[in-house]
Amino acid sequence: MDENARVSNEVVIKADGVDFSYRSGEYVSRGVTGINLEVRRGEFLVILGRNGSGKSTLAKLLNGFLIPDEGIVTVMGTDTADENKIYEVRSKVGMVFQNPDNQMVASVVENDVAFGPENLGIPRAEIEERVTEALETVGMSEYRKGSPNKLSGGQKQRIAIAAILAMRPDVVILDESTAMLDPKGRREIMDTVMNLNREKGMTVVLITHYMDEAIEADRIFVMNDGKITASGAPKDVFLNYDKVKAAGLELPVASKVSKALIEAGYDLPFAITDEELAKSICRLKQKI
Amino acid sequence: MQIKAENLNYVYSPKTPFEKTALDNVSFTVNEGDTLGIVGATGSGKSTLTRHLNALIRIQSGKIFLGDVDLSAKRVDLKEVRKKVGMLFQFPEYQLFADTVKKDVEFGPKNFGFGDKEAACAAEDALRSVGLDIKEIGDKSPFELSGGQMRRVAIAGVIASKPEVLVLDEPTAGLDPVGKREILSLVSELKKSFVKTVIIVSHNMDEIAEYCNRVIVLDNGKLIADTTPDELFNRSDVVDNTELDYPHTVKIKRMLSEFGFEIDSPALNVEALVSGILGRLKS
Repeated sequence: MDENARVSNEVVIKADGVDFSYRSGEYVSRGVTGINLEVRRGEFLVILGRNGSGKSTLAKLLNGFLIPDEGIVTVMGTDTADENKIYEVRSKVGMVFQNPDNQMVASVVENDVAFGPENLGIPRAEIEERVTEALETVGMSEYRKGSPNKLSGGQKQRIAIAAILAMRPDVVILDESTAMLDPKGRREIMDTVMNLNREKGMTVVLITHYMDEAIEADRIFVMNDGKITASGAPKDVFLNYDKVKAAGLELPVASKVSKALIEAGYDLPFAITDEELAKSICRLKQKI
Repeated sequence: MQIKAENLNYVYSPKTPFEKTALDNVSFTVNEGDTLGIVGATGSGKSTLTRHLNALIRIQSGKIFLGDVDLSAKRVDLKEVRKKVGMLFQFPEYQLFADTVKKDVEFGPKNFGFGDKEAACAAEDALRSVGLDIKEIGDKSPFELSGGQMRRVAIAGVIASKPEVLVLDEPTAGLDPVGKREILSLVSELKKSFVKTVIIVSHNMDEIAEYCNRVIVLDNGKLIADTTPDELFNRSDVVDNTELDYPHTVKIKRMLSEFGFEIDSPALNVEALVSGILGRLKS
């Protein structure tokens, strides 16, 4: 899909001056403050931050799991604080969590995927159609009649994604959905997510602390201590490495290497992907 | 103390339809002073193997020697074995249980027969060596601490009993980059002072490459390589034939080589990769 055609100007989620803190009795701990952010239709947006930076709190504010203390979050124009419309909001913004085992509700894969649309009161025939399509999208069609607890972590997370897709949301949020998986599982999920965004045009918000998951994003928001401290295209954000470092994050390996070569006096561009780096090193060698 | 495993086999649910071979004729030696990495896909037998090392699993067939103690013998002093081999499980912060940090860390030593004073000293030492001050947090509930601190307390709880060998199962899982680095440099520090031998189970090849001097690879319960990280990631085809990954720096080195830019260095970390590239650019 053409890049420009994929991301439109339509704002699907908007956070405006959002503050939120957690309260239990006297005890107040800050979640996030002063959050302004827009998610555009078709976009692949990554929220990066260390443990405790407030990134998961922000994710939960974006689909009405949490309601702002101050400011407003709207999903396609609907205020998430409007109790009468909360189901509408949540059916538009689907969320996949960290632990695959906590997200399975049924003992057969297809029933698990059908659970969401069943609750929405969708007619049986259409549910069938949705389940088939959702499982196909995540590449799990052959496991349709199987049991979720026989699957690997990566496969379970793909089922969790299918279960969200079957609700036909406008946005999918993945809240550290690869954190508990092994490298193979992580690759499976990232391939699924990229396919969803690039081929199907789904709007994706990915919450993570893995730099390599952020490289392909359209835009990155860096969170530190409850605030957004940097935002923009991946390369622009990573170029600002002091801010990346202050947020407790590390540059992608390719960036670290290109930075070291630049500092050693070589004339090559700052790279964020391995391929960019390798190509620019070869070009450099030819010039010398 | 040397650890030696000989022809180790283990089958779960033997003689049932659910029978599964977890270890298949595994033999290897860990020398005192080693930092050994154990790698392999999920389900390859890594956890089954590490659980054998402090006798959490009874040996079905084969032998393990911890120094001169034979774990397959009829009578084994389990307490002694577990005191010598400290084990840190995955997500150890979920295993904290006492109402104060001090009590949690003292629990191990007391079980191993340390007196009250001795246990208190051991706890203070252990907490100090993981970068925590007993005066500051000793009386706090472990559940008031941050995730990173909780993991440190859990490590302190294991090393307080002064084991000779420390086994860590995915010690950095779920941590952010800074948390990962903290835990790994802590392990390197401990290796200089507290414990003699470290065994790390990990899916993260960057960590294995950077911190281990030896690595063994399990695949479907079989030991298919016993080598150095350099050999494994640069000179064998084991990685290509299993579900393992290359360390990120080695991936870049391989891509450069495809483009005709060869580097001599094993490139197991960023510094080595950069100096390899600089060397080649200058030549």
